[in-house]
Amino acid sequence: MNTKELETTDRGIRYDRPLGRISEDEGVVLLRLEMPGVAKEGLTIDVDGDLLVVTGVRAEQENSGRYLVRERPRFNFRRTYTLDETVDRNRIDAELSNGVLTVSLHLKEEVKPRKIEVKGR
Amino acid sequence: MNLIRWKGNSLLDPVREMERLQDEINRLFEFDRAESGIGLFDRAESPAIDVVERDDNYLVMCDLPGVQLSDLDVSAANNVLTIKGEKKGSRSTKGAKVYRTETWEGTFQRTVSLPSGIDAGRIGAELSSGTLTVTVPKREEDRPKRITVKVM
Repeated sequence: MNTKELETTDRGIRYDRPLGRISEDEGVVLLRLEMPGVAKEGLTIDVDGDLLVVTGVRAEQENSGRYLVRERPRFNFRRTYTLDETVDRNRIDAELSNGVLTVSLHLKEEVKPRKIEVKGR
Repeated sequence: MNLIRWKGNSLLDPVREMERLQDEINRLFEFDRAESGIGLFDRAESPAIDVVERDDNYLVMCDLPGVQLSDLDVSAANNVLTIKGEKKGSRSTKGAKVYRTETWEGTFQRTVSLPSGIDAGRIGAELSSGTLTVTVPKREEDRPKRITVKVM
């Protein structure tokens, strides 16, 4: 999987970029994105050709009061990754727990390292 | 309202502090600093917070994605609210190739000085979707009062 990122500013809407971690283990690329405040309902994951677009809508921000300190990111999350040929588009799973999204991208069978059994006679 | 970023070590003795800094800079060249759990690299993170004042209470909100409830400790003593805990790594990384890491893990602590006039006994905290919300109620007598003026 290619980790190149794209700037995402469509129609001037601003997004915050979630922090991520990408690892690969046993033919599965794990993309872990931290999206605090995003519930399952607010999450969209789109695969469009070579692009994997993750968008997370944060829960309604508190706006009935006066902010004394404001350090947290305040926009919705969006991040785009490009997928290369080795990722099986039909085997992408996602799981959201405690504000962390884990996307499992399975690699195609033919690119996985294969063990060739040696037959003895 | 004051906010204090947690420094961890005592700042009482400046000479001692300079020596410690010197030691740490020397240690930088030893290339084995990853495991040293003290000093500049103790990685006690201060997570970002928002503090909102409302009519009846204050809300302290803190982003803690991936933190389990059992690893989180919220306490209030002498008008100081402390949020601390540990953020543990995703999964076992044994045998996994890591391509890119932007996230942090390890211990964190954040301290917030609360204003006077709060009801420390009724502080509530809730962790949901990786966001911690601490509700600090104001004492009854410190809330803004609405006085209705009757027209005679």
